[in-house]
Amino acid sequence: MKKFAKWLFLVVTIVVTLGVTGNMNTKADSNTPATDQYLSKVKAKGELVVGTSPDFPPYEFTKNINGKSKVVGMDMEISKKVAHDMGVKLVIRRMDFDSLLVALQTGKVDMVIAGMSKTPKRAKSVDFSNVYYKAGEDLVIKKSDLKTIKSYKSLAGKAIGAQTGSIQYNLVKNQATKSTLKGMDKDTDLILALQTNKIDAIALDQPTAEAYAKNTSGLVAINAHFKDEGEQGSAIAFPKGAQSLVNSANKSIAEIKSKNLIHKQYLPNAGKYLATGKSKSAKAANSMWAYKDFFIAGVGYTLMISAVSVVIGFLLGTLLALMRLSKNKIANGISVSYIEFVRGTPLMVQILFIYFGLGLVVNIPALLSGIIAVSLNSGAYVAEVIRSGISSIAVGQTEASRSLGLSRSMTMRFIILPQAMKNIWPALGNEFVSLIKESSIVSIIGVKDLIYQSRIVQADTYRGVMPLLITMILYFIMTFGLSRLMKFFEGRMTHE
Amino acid sequence: MNNETVTPVLEVKHLKKVFGQNEVLKDINEQVSNGQVICLIGPSGAGKSTFLRCLNMLDQPTSGEVLFEGQDLTKLDDKRLDKTRENMGMVFQSFNLFPHKTVIENIKLAPVKVKGEDDATATATAEKLLKQVGLENKADAFPASLSGGQQQRVAIARALAMNPKVMLFDEPTSALDPEMVGEVLKVMQDLASEGMTMVVVTHEMGFARNVADKVWFMADGYIQESAEPKTFFEHPETDRAKDFLAKILEA
Repeated sequence: MKKFAKWLFLVVTIVVTLGVTGNMNTKADSNTPATDQYLSKVKAKGELVVGTSPDFPPYEFTKNINGKSKVVGMDMEISKKVAHDMGVKLVIRRMDFDSLLVALQTGKVDMVIAGMSKTPKRAKSVDFSNVYYKAGEDLVIKKSDLKTIKSYKSLAGKAIGAQTGSIQYNLVKNQATKSTLKGMDKDTDLILALQTNKIDAIALDQPTAEAYAKNTSGLVAINAHFKDEGEQGSAIAFPKGAQSLVNSANKSIAEIKSKNLIHKQYLPNAGKYLATGKSKSAKAANSMWAYKDFFIAGVGYTLMISAVSVVIGFLLGTLLALMRLSKNKIANGISVSYIEFVRGTPLMVQILFIYFGLGLVVNIPALLSGIIAVSLNSGAYVAEVIRSGISSIAVGQTEASRSLGLSRSMTMRFIILPQAMKNIWPALGNEFVSLIKESSIVSIIGVKDLIYQSRIVQADTYRGVMPLLITMILYFIMTFGLSRLMKFFEGRMTHE
Repeated sequence: MNNETVTPVLEVKHLKKVFGQNEVLKDINEQVSNGQVICLIGPSGAGKSTFLRCLNMLDQPTSGEVLFEGQDLTKLDDKRLDKTRENMGMVFQSFNLFPHKTVIENIKLAPVKVKGEDDATATATAEKLLKQVGLENKADAFPASLSGGQQQRVAIARALAMNPKVMLFDEPTSALDPEMVGEVLKVMQDLASEGMTMVVVTHEMGFARNVADKVWFMADGYIQESAEPKTFFEHPETDRAKDFLAKILEA
């Protein structure tokens, strides 16, 4: 997951380099009169798109309501209020915590609310509203450790987990220097890591820690006793220069504060959703069967992405292979550079780049971005497989064909490619199997594939292993099915 | 048979072919008239196959002219070259049948794809040709299930299906087991007696002596002798040829 942060940093750097627009100097002062177009644009489209990372109860988390996964929690109630005060509809986009600010900067969302602390560092790239909530920091530990662990200081030589990019992550890094810090993207993964003894404690914000402790047997939350590093508490993030939105949100926050809505209404509401986690009826709802629609939808998306990408990747790969084998220097050069570049960069960065990077120029939806990235990536690999297949056909075949008067392209089509295809079929099969598996990476930009759905089920049910097991089996069924299918066609191609 | 006033079917002028540092063909000037059977013989490495492949431009000559019915092939663009190749059948040492197609598909492919013949016509022609080479019962077999001799006969039928004006044979029997050489030579002999113009690179001296109208002896990048078979085999002029024939007869 540390790697992920690095990729993200790379993408952010590229995005920021591409997108320096000169509004960096705008002061984020709440009293500044707004002259920007942000609010009027939101009003014009009639919806406020809010980005969040729903694994942070009671701020935001998902709940299976009538078979549909909904994002609920305190932050969502605040968002509703903010949207309502603007007079628009609320639209919620889920993504990884790490991706939220990038999404904000690249215009994928209008605002970000995710229990996100206002820090000077973050304030350099986004504008914050006033703080709406401030809580202390807790440690989630196992009940059995309650006697030995009193604060972060008791954890010298042990591993502390924290959400990558979170305030707690930095607190642990700065203060618990004698402990090992393990960063992960999802709180649910952290809880799982704690339960399976991969880590000894999780640094979490107090309400979240309490929510998890309350809903997960064997875990408790204690005060972490971190030194105050000047945290200002949670605030809503807006794009740099979106003063009109900041002003509007600040008005709503002021009203929430004056009516004490957070403590009177929002937190108790969130608690109600969480509380059901341990009752008997909730247990039935948390059985994996209750989430079958999620898995089915996930399989559907994964298959759809894979199928489209296999077709496009195959066509693109064939084209690239022919270009690479052609005598035309330009075609050859383009093909070689493309193949080398795509094979030399991680698919994850390619996906992030297409979604966020190209998003600056044209707005490509997440699903399409994912399909494009996986197809383009697969094309490069398929090209090499096909090239090796074409090269493996004896030159005598070409000579015999040309001597009969067949043109270069007819020879390729009727003589070389059909034979090459037969030779490379097993390798091509491998390529397609790994494509199914690698397509799982599209979940990082919020495409609702199988991995994404299993994350939701994990977050919803507070069960870590079972959804993973089911996901694994489903992937296996898909890849095994594909390799049987390839075998079947391979058999049909064999004449000798 | 030879009529010197008519335009030769094939003619090469100052043909030269260089591979890297290696001058394989140095300066070749020859003609093939309609209906003639030429056997090209000589020691291995003499450039016989290269010469043959220059005739239908599978190898691009370094310089010189290759005239087919008076037209210089070295100056044609790809499209017109493809068109010309239809008229020049070629048979290879290693058969080069298309392994993914049946015997009859191998034969029909070019007539259908290149000439645009309809399937029925192409099938009828293919069946006739298969009968001619004695393989009418192998139409639906795949090449891998045939013997070498059978494969080469299919290859000849495949080349004939385009109704070529010239047939080029590149050591057609060299890759065959001895007992299969005869069946292929028989097909070629029948073809010659039907009046097909043929240029044959071969080591089969018997075939050259009995079937050829003319023998070209090639060595060191030149055609050293061009003569009637009887003259060549009984009274070779050059030392190179005498030496070559002596070695052949020893074996």
